[in-house]
Amino acid sequence: MDKKVTPKKTVVDAFVEGARNGFGISANSMAPNVMFAFVLIQILNLTGLSDILGVIFQPVMGIFGLPGVAATVLIASFLSMGGGVGVAASLYSSGLINGTHISIMIPAIMLMGALLQYMGRILGTANVDNKYYPQLFAICFINAILSMFVMRLIVSL
Amino acid sequence: MKERKSEGNEVKVRWYGYIVLVIAILFFSGVFTAFEGPLKALDFTNLAGDFGKLGTLEEGAGSLASNFRGTGGAGAKDAWMFAMTLFPTVMFALGVVKVVEYLDGLKAAQKLLTPLLRPLMGLPGISGLTLIASLQSADAGASMLNTLAEEGEITEKEKNIFAAFQFSGGGTLTNYLSSCAALFAFMTVPILVPLAVVIAFKIVGANLMRIYLNKVCKQ
Repeated sequence: MDKKVTPKKTVVDAFVEGARNGFGISANSMAPNVMFAFVLIQILNLTGLSDILGVIFQPVMGIFGLPGVAATVLIASFLSMGGGVGVAASLYSSGLINGTHISIMIPAIMLMGALLQYMGRILGTANVDNKYYPQLFAICFINAILSMFVMRLIVSL
Repeated sequence: MKERKSEGNEVKVRWYGYIVLVIAILFFSGVFTAFEGPLKALDFTNLAGDFGKLGTLEEGAGSLASNFRGTGGAGAKDAWMFAMTLFPTVMFALGVVKVVEYLDGLKAAQKLLTPLLRPLMGLPGISGLTLIASLQSADAGASMLNTLAEEGEITEKEKNIFAAFQFSGGGTLTNYLSSCAALFAFMTVPILVPLAVVIAFKIVGANLMRIYLNKVCKQ
């Protein structure tokens, strides 16, 4: 006895609903985050800070086969995933990183992305005991670091 | 009229759900990107297509932007033009995901995943639905996890392991196809590869938490 009274949804309805959701995410989340990131990079470029950051982070980022300035991608992604992605796109546009560098960093951007937001949205909502927060943050950073090694290996194949 | 919510092992998948799942994976994997013949159409990048070119220039006549974003932009205005180039990719990708969901593709993934949860992460099969939901939406996943724990379906330890899975790379699928879509054009690997790496490391993270809880917090 499987009676459904809801009006029948078609494949087309499903696609349109998803695409509409995609439009909403693009307008409300992606575009503002990209703008934040591009302006941040513009500030770093105009002040000359990007060169300084590049030099400071070169030893660390070099381990993953990345230029020092790529550290800004990871720092921004910690605050907001879209921000990290935007910084990567902006650095690519200015020729400071290339496609290989981006490929290496994409999983890391996600794995350590938006942790401050997700602390509330995931750990808070799920009522996770506060005492595990440091471990959970540490796991995200470990994931991100290991993923960059793995991606470095994959892009070299 | 007793209708139970299908959860865990009881999930019902229409037969074509599995086919849809396989097609969806192939669709985003990029295996058909450079294919000759009609199978070319079974590829995300090919269907996403291209923006029109602005025109052509004789050799040595300067440079021409490849699309309406232009070249040499910077700051907030360049961000705006760049963001505009991403709308179609994100809308298209999330539309496809919704179709896959509508055709039971995600349920098929859940069904296939359920028996693997215990060996992979030490989670009970009933977590399957929550896991699939958490890949689509960080908020949905977290609130469903909370419900599972409150109703006593999973233990406190299992909840913390599951939280580690969800916390690293939350809302994976949706975030990857929306935020990271900005980088698809620059990547040197197929679209599916970084996504697979993220999911693999989410499982690694859950196991780090599992090891931690087993060894360090043994009471």
